[in-house]
Amino acid sequence: MIEFLNVGLRYGQGPEILRDLDFRIEPGSFHFLTGPSGAGKTSLLKLLLLSLKPTRGKVMLFGKDTTQLDQDGLLQMRRHIGIVFQEFRLLDHLTTYENVALPLRVLGEQESSYRANVIELLEWVGLGERLNALPALLSGGEKQRAAIARAVIGRPDILLADEPTGNVDPDLSLRLIRLFAELNRMGTTIILATHELPLLDNFPFPRMVLNDGQVHIHG
Amino acid sequence: MAEWRFLRLPGLARGEQSAPIVPERSVAGRTLVTLIAIMSFLSAMTLGGVVLVQKSALGWSADVGREVTIQLRPVDGAVMDSSLRTAVALAEATPGVASARALSLEETQDLLTPWLGAGVDLSALDVPRLVVVQLADPREADIDKLTSDLKAVEGASLDTHAAWRQQLNGMAGTIVASGLLVLMLIMVATVLAIVFATRGTMASNRSIVDVLHFIGASNSFIAGEFQGRFLTIGFRGGMLGGFAAIVFFIVVGFAVGAVMPQAAGQQLGVLFGRFALGLDGLLGLIAVVPVIAAVTAITSRITVRRFLQTTS
Ligand SMILES: Nc1ncnc2c1ncn2[C@@H]1O[C@H](COP(=O)(O)OP(=O)(O)O)[C@@H](O)[C@H]1O
Ligand SMILES: [Mg+2]
Repeated sequence: MIEFLNVGLRYGQGPEILRDLDFRIEPGSFHFLTGPSGAGKTSLLKLLLLSLKPTRGKVMLFGKDTTQLDQDGLLQMRRHIGIVFQEFRLLDHLTTYENVALPLRVLGEQESSYRANVIELLEWVGLGERLNALPALLSGGEKQRAAIARAVIGRPDILLADEPTGNVDPDLSLRLIRLFAELNRMGTTIILATHELPLLDNFPFPRMVLNDGQVHIHG
Repeated sequence: MAEWRFLRLPGLARGEQSAPIVPERSVAGRTLVTLIAIMSFLSAMTLGGVVLVQKSALGWSADVGREVTIQLRPVDGAVMDSSLRTAVALAEATPGVASARALSLEETQDLLTPWLGAGVDLSALDVPRLVVVQLADPREADIDKLTSDLKAVEGASLDTHAAWRQQLNGMAGTIVASGLLVLMLIMVATVLAIVFATRGTMASNRSIVDVLHFIGASNSFIAGEFQGRFLTIGFRGGMLGGFAAIVFFIVVGFAVGAVMPQAAGQQLGVLFGRFALGLDGLLGLIAVVPVIAAVTAITSRITVRRFLQTTS
């Protein structure tokens, strides 16, 4: 599903911050992506999200070489990938419901066709009572659950998360990762980047460790 | 919160219940509406001015063209009254002439009062006299025949006001051309202002653009969302400016009518009777509104697309 072939990445003329990345990730798997701050976790996720191109090597997604895709091809592929950020990135002027419905709205779908699904998903992540609240009125945990709902409403095959627990307390962090685990059980391939190692001990998933620009998979 | 949302009117661009993706307030809206309103006002004023000048010039030119004047200089040995009668007769015999009339001595005196002062007795002076010839149809009047016929009358000359009309038309043409140039410059300034405003808006809404990108929105979708906002803004600004210009022309029209002293009389009344925009001029002013709205929308669309192409 995901395959990196000898991938290297540098920003501009700077040093190579990712190098010789060579790994495969199977469909339906769950990986933690760890490493110290500045190790390149966000950069690796951006490669997967197709918002960065590798400076060398190939990133294969769904069996296709992403470096060969044109703009429309990238767009189509991006629609199979969901992403969750540490800072939530909800649109402040839209309600929880509207934020979560946004990926369907930008596809041009009619509201009547997705309204029930969005509400069901929001109930599932525990935001059934907060449909019409603006983000400013949500707690950190609620915002992140809304962001997760937005990332999965389009039923992506791959769900990426960049430090999703960075802005919530440890207890909530644990519950958020359980939510990801639940989504993984339903078939979504998940890569979750975090530098909070103690949290990971509660889960059996393999870890990709970034160090010195290279990645090693444990477990 | 919920009630408030449902009370909200749907946006102009899309009739959805959901809030617009690009928040209304984030698009330096009011500033841009004001700017576009001013630009529309200036465009409409220029356009209205051009229409007024064009129409008045045409009107005056036609009026003046409907009349020629025979001037009779006093000549030794000729009797002025008989020369006047001959000139009137010759004029009346010319095809296309409706009427010819010699100005009486009093009328001549009235004409000369501004130059000579009142109370000058003209009967003691030899002054040139005029025959006013009204043409039935300026195109069919045989001016050449009249010119050659008048050679028989000593001291007679014919003034068709051709030089004056040419000058008037030339002047009007220059004003119209300058007006159109000004209109073009206003449009260019408007486009530039919209480009800057759009870039500013895109930059300040960068986070929204990024979110839209990573949830799978296409560039044309994003451009459409921004363009919708700008179309609304362009329309509002255009309406404000165009409306203000129309009010301005109406008020000025009344003011001119009211301020003009009665004594200035009929001539000015005739003059300012024509000094009106007319229906076609008004339609021209109203047309400024959709044109400005379209210019705003197209400019912002192109700017947004460029922005998206360089950032994604
Ligand atoms: N846009 C960028 N331009 C230049 N350097 C960058 C950019 N983004 C990240 N970097 C650099 O790349 C390295 C990895 O950053 P990042 O991928 O954000 O790491 P992490 O997410 O693990 O903290 C850092 O040294 C950072 O300074
Ligand atoms: Mg990071």
